[in-house]
Order: sequence, then structure tokens, then C-alpha cells
Amino acid sequence: MRRLLQLSNDTLFIYYLSSNFIYLILLITAIFRNNWHQHRLTGLRLERLKSSPFTPPISLIVPAHNEEKCIIDSVRSLLKLDYPALELVIVNDGSNDHTLSELQHEFQLRTASLLYIPQIASARVRALYRSAVEPRLLVVDKDSGGSKADAVNAGINAAGSPYLCVIDADSILEPDALLRIMAVVLSDPQKIVAAGGIVRILNGCEVSEGRLCRVRLPQRNLEIMQVIEYLRAFLIGREGWAYFNALPIISGAFGVFRTDLVRQIGGYRRHAIGEDFDLVVRMHRYLQEQRREYQINFVPDPTCWTEAPADLRSLARQRARWHKGLLDTLWPNRDTLARSRYGRLGCLILPYMWIFEFFAPVIELAGYSTILAAAILGVLGRQFLILFLLFGYAFATLISIGSVLLEEMTYRRYSSWREVARLLLFCLFEHFPYRQMTLLWRLQGIWQYLRGDLVWREMKRSGLSDTARASFQAHPGGR
Amino acid sequence: MDFAFNPGQEFATARLILKAILLSLLGIFHLIAFIAARRWHRARYFRKLSERTLALRSQWNGIIDGTVCPRTWRLNRLDCELVEAMLLDSMEAANAEQLPGLLACLRSSGLLDLRIHQARSAVGWRQRSALVALGRTRALEAVAALNEALDSPATETRIAAARGLGRTGLPQAAVAILDHLLSGGLPIPEYTVKNGLANCCRHSPQTLLPYLKDADGPARTIVARVLAELATPALGEDLIVLATDGDAEVRASAARAMGASQASFALPELSVLVRDQEWFVRLRAVVALSSIQEPGRIRPLLHALCDSNRHVRQRAACALSQMGSHLEQILYQVVDTQDSYALQAFVSELERTGATERLLEVLHKSGDSAAAAQILLQAIANSRKELSKSVELSAAAAGGR
Repeated sequence: MRRLLQLSNDTLFIYYLSSNFIYLILLITAIFRNNWHQHRLTGLRLERLKSSPFTPPISLIVPAHNEEKCIIDSVRSLLKLDYPALELVIVNDGSNDHTLSELQHEFQLRTASLLYIPQIASARVRALYRSAVEPRLLVVDKDSGGSKADAVNAGINAAGSPYLCVIDADSILEPDALLRIMAVVLSDPQKIVAAGGIVRILNGCEVSEGRLCRVRLPQRNLEIMQVIEYLRAFLIGREGWAYFNALPIISGAFGVFRTDLVRQIGGYRRHAIGEDFDLVVRMHRYLQEQRREYQINFVPDPTCWTEAPADLRSLARQRARWHKGLLDTLWPNRDTLARSRYGRLGCLILPYMWIFEFFAPVIELAGYSTILAAAILGVLGRQFLILFLLFGYAFATLISIGSVLLEEMTYRRYSSWREVARLLLFCLFEHFPYRQMTLLWRLQGIWQYLRGDLVWREMKRSGLSDTARASFQAHPGGR
Repeated sequence: MDFAFNPGQEFATARLILKAILLSLLGIFHLIAFIAARRWHRARYFRKLSERTLALRSQWNGIIDGTVCPRTWRLNRLDCELVEAMLLDSMEAANAEQLPGLLACLRSSGLLDLRIHQARSAVGWRQRSALVALGRTRALEAVAALNEALDSPATETRIAAARGLGRTGLPQAAVAILDHLLSGGLPIPEYTVKNGLANCCRHSPQTLLPYLKDADGPARTIVARVLAELATPALGEDLIVLATDGDAEVRASAARAMGASQASFALPELSVLVRDQEWFVRLRAVVALSSIQEPGRIRPLLHALCDSNRHVRQRAACALSQMGSHLEQILYQVVDTQDSYALQAFVSELERTGATERLLEVLHKSGDSAAAAQILLQAIANSRKELSKSVELSAAAAGGR
């Protein structure tokens, strides 16, 4: 028993050190990369990109399922984006509210007999519509396929541009977000096949007519914890992984992809739970199989604002779903693990995702139990236990504060002293009990997946502010 | 394995962990202190910046015409940066009359020489920033330094040099880019090269022609694409030669150029290009045809309306639906094609542009058009039925919730 406990504790120790070491490397890398990006931006004039005749068109695909309350504001806001050649494809995914009639009324839709080639499988498309007043707008009306992936696939079939950008109908893009992300894509269009922007939390911000008016930190503790989590995940995690050209995920809320490549890999997997992660992993896989030189990039400044769950129940569902989605993608790609043929996917991305993402809650829970047992049984000195826990806390806090530093050094969206002070304060309290709660939710996700419980559970959206849209209907997806 | 929790080694490990804790706490303290210090420093810097901007603006005319001695601002780093930024911003917005004065100030203060020196001798971001700033000066003497930087081993520096050359907007800068491009020595993104060339050749697209004749491979495609954006009727015969080029990209560019030039001589060539084997060449030809105001374009557009590619069909339908006075005649010809996709594309464009009612009125007035009117009405009814069915379906679902 004692031997087993010792072995378990040693394993946990090594695991924890490795995890922290990786995050430290990612933090350092992210600081350098962000600095480099800032320098690069100074030589770039976005208005020149906007006025250039060579800027390639983008199809903006927006799946909408029961979005009658926000769809008009969303479309208006997206049509106002600063981009010279934009095609907006709204996919009405079998809505059973007035989403389509709202669009028809507002934008004077007319049936368009465009030849629709279902190159990628999706539920039946009922009709395509174009607007009499807005030539850039195309509406695809289809039966509900039960997933965001299915709706996006129909949009991909209808899209006519060399690049496509998928965003959620309830998210808000900053006006120059497309220009900023494309500036990076166009710096090497042969190699860069996809790029993701940063997703930030909209809760607490002021929104009017689908546009962000003022950035503010949310009021509720649970939401601020998520702000820190998002900053850490995007400004450190994704920025760091992108440096090693091993970005495992592009957020479903905002990403740009080469249309031909997405079509070649068959679009989104229709019933994938984490369709965004799944798409990027399949992209890596396909490109590695083809032996192509490529980059999947992360651009830290084009920002997409999205609403985060404001109550524990919704957050629990979201986190359980994310973890289910993780396993749902890792398992079908298990054959690539540790195989040199799959390069960075098989040897770096997927092993990391299995060990430090998927198994993390299991190992952490086992660790808590065995360390406690070892301390009680005297295998481990109590002082040592306290030291170990203190180290865990101090190091994790250091990384979280590192993400606030990155935000401060670069984009400074939270401008007042008070907001920065609150962020720093919450970095100190993030690790108890929030971390333990997410651990339980992730375990719940594993359990649900193993039981075959793959049902999408509706998330409660609270609305954003007095001037914000009255309510949001969640659509499956939106990591 | 059991190094960490072996009681014998536990003390040593505990010491290690204690050190790690102290380091982490020190790190936390430093990060927080850095954030606070940085915020304080920035606030101070911006306050100072604001004060100096106001002071320099108040003597701006004197700075430009040299009555305020450059020594008063040139040797102060912040003032120098501010004046340069203000000068470059003014130059971008300046007209032909204002530009020489601003440029003279840049020269007499030595700022231009300083930037040329930095572009040649500095490294990294400092050099790149100098290259872009040099481009913004639009000064002829900047071209040589920018041209040299095109040979830099660093990609980012080459990109900055190409951007700088583009920003000068001078034909001499275009020649520098083209010489590098044709000698195969410009490994930077196409997008930057195209933008640079387009900026420099905007008023003299003929600069590109001799290079286009000599170029081959990707360089030829790039030059053709830029020419397509800048073409004028004056280029005449040269564009016609490009329409028969073996490279599909060049043919597409020729089609685009003929559209941009608005030249009537282009019609026969575009009529051939709408039958090209590559769909994007056909699409370009259709787009070009839709911008040329010649009645002879109806026949090639009708051919494009029956194209196998939906984008070509749609653009042809869009062009045809906008020919107000010929709509009746076009409708008969579309019906004669007996191509249901062509008819649907045409009708949907009529619907979208609101031309349907006008056409129906014309058809009712003319006596012998009953069959065509019937077909048109049927097609419109079908499409409207689809829309109302979809809306009813979702409204019914919404009502039943």
C-alpha cells in the first residue's frame, strides 16, 4: 500500500512539474511572440489592406438556430465590418421561431436559383435566398441537422470565396477583426491555411445594435474567473502553441480557413461534439498525410466577443461538453499517436491533449486522494504536503498573472486601474474552489461520454446589459 | 521513481520545493510591480506626449518653413519623433502643392538622411521601421536605400522594403521591384508585391508592359494581375495580345484589364474569353462584359448564362437583368436556350433587382408575347412559392411552440 502510494505521488509530482514547465515555456514564448506581433503591426496599415484590390474575398458563415431576437442586429453589425470583399452567408438551421421571416422582412429576401452543390454532407437545404437591398447577403434555409457543424457545412457549400470565416450569431466581431486576421494570413497565403483570433468575454460590456460600445469587466465572480481563464488560454496557450506551429484548436466562435482545404477534408464532422477542435485536428492530419508544408496560426488582436455562462449550471454543462468534445475527437484520431508520419500532430499535439488535457482531471483527482492518504498514513510528511500544495498554488497564480501582464502589455482592453486590480485579485482566488469545480465538471463530461450521453443541453444566457440584446439563444458550439 | 516522496530524500525535495515557492512568489511580486510601474510610466508618457504635441503644433508653420530652427526640436528624441510622425501624416494627406514644402523640411532638418542611414545600417525592427518611414516620405532619394533592402536575408526586412517602395508611389520604385521580381530574387508574399506595384504604377501602367513581355512563371502572373487593375484604353493592342496567352491567370487578368479600360475594342476578345476552358477566365470575362456599355455584349452574356459554373451564370444573369431597355428581347432569347438553370438564374436576378414588374408590364403591352409572359410568370410563381412555404413552415413551428 505504502509502495503504491509512493509510486502514485511520484507520478503526480512529475506530472505536475511537467505541466507547469510546459506552461512556463508557453508563457515565455507568448511574451516574445506578442511583442513581435506588436512590432509587425506598426509597419502595417490596415486601411491599405482595406483599399487594396488584391485583398481576397471572405465568406462569413453564420449558423443561426432560433435567433429571432438578435439575428437582425447581428447581420447589420457583420455587414458593417471593415472588409473590402465580404459575402455574408446566414444559415437558418431549421429554426422554429421567426428567424427566417425576420430576415425576409428586413432584407427583402428573394429566392435565388443558384445551383447548390452539396459537396459536403448536411441536412436538406430547402432554399437559397438573396437580398434585394444587400447584394452581399445570402441566406441558406435548411432542415435542422441537430448540430452547428451541419449548419456550417451547408454554408460552406454555398460559399463562393477562397476564404471562409465561421462565427456564432450571438458573438460580436470588432470592426477591423477580419482585416487584422487576414493581414497575417496574407503574409504567407501559401502556407497559412487557417488562423484563429482571440475570443473574449462579453459579459459586463455595453452593446448596442450588435456593436460593442464599451468594454468592462463583468460583475459576477464566476464570470471574472472565466475572463482570466480565457486570457490564459488564448494569450498564453494558443499564442505559445502557434509559435511551435502546433495549434490544436481554433475557436468555433471566430476562425478563418481556406475554403478549398475545408472542402477537401469534408467540412465539419456533422455529429462532432467539439466540432472546432475536430476540424483543426483533421486539417493537421490531412496536411501531414499529404506531406504539405503548412501553418495554422493564431492572431492575438482580432477580437471576437462572446457571452460566457453566468450561472454554475450552464458553466458545468459547457465544461462537461468541452471535455466530451475533447474525447470525441481524440478517440477517432488515436491511430496517429506517436507516429512520425503524422509529425507534430502525432508526436506533440495529440500526446499533449491526451496527457495534459484529457487525463488532467482524472490525474488531479487521483493526486488529491493519494497525497491526502499518504499524509494521513504518514508516507508523506504534512509539512511536505503543505509545501507541495503551496507551490502548486503559487505557480498557477504566477501563470495567471502572466496572462494579465500580456493583456496589459499588448491590447489593454481593461483600461482602468480598478479593473486591472480586480483581475489581479481574482488571479489569487482562482485556484480554490473554482479549479476543483471545473475538475468535477470535466469528470462529469468523461462519464457522460462513456455512458453515450451526447445530448446537447441548452445553456441559459442572461442578456448582456441594459443596452444589449434582450436575450440570447445558444447554438451548439461556441468554444 | 520514488525520489520525491522517499522519506530519506524528502528533506532535500522539500528544500527544492521551498525554493520553487519562493521563486514563484518573487515572480508574482515582480509581475504585479511591473504591471503597476508600466501603467504609471505610460500615463506619464502620454501626458508628456500630449504637452509636446500641443507645443509643436503651435509652432508648426515655423517648423515647416524653417523659421523655427531645427536644432530646437531635432536633438530632443521625443520632439523629433513627434515632428517626424506629424510630417509623414501630413505628407500622406498632402496635395501636389503642399508636398514640396513638407519634403524640404524633412531634407533640411536631416530627418531624411537619418532614416536613409538607419535603413542601411540598422538591423531588426529599427531598420524595418526606417524602411516604412522612408516609403512614406515619397522622396526619390529613398528609393536606392529601399532597393538595397530588397536583398536583405531577413524576410520581414524585404517585406518592409517592398512596402516602403510601394508607399513612395514612384515609377522608379516600381522598376526596383520589377527588376528584383524578374531576376527571381524577391521571395516575399505576392500580396505585398502586387500592392507595391499597383501603388507605384497607378499613373503609368505602361511601365509594366515591357516587364510582362520578358517575365515568365509566377512573376508573369503577378505583373499581369497588377496590369489588370490599372489598365487604361491607351494600352490597346497590348491587352489583346494577352487575351490569347497560354497562362490562364494572364488571360483572366487580360479580361479584367479590358473591363477596367472600358474599351470598345475589347468586345470581340471578351466574346472569345467567355468560352475559355477555365471557369475563372470566363467569370472575369463576364464581369468585364457587364461593365462595357455595348449592345453586342448580349450574345456572349447569353452564352455565359448557360455556363456550367454557377458563379459565371449568376454574374451573367446579373449583367443581363440590368439591361433595362432590352429585357423583353433578352427574355425571349433566354427562353430559346431551353436551359432551365439559365432561366431560373435570370428570373431570380430580375426578382432581386425588382425588374420583374416592369418586364411584365412590357410583356402585357406587346400582343405576341403571351408564351414568354406565361413562362416568366410561372418561374416567378415557383420561386415565390418556395419562399412563402419556408416562411410559413417556420412561422407555423414558431406558433406551435
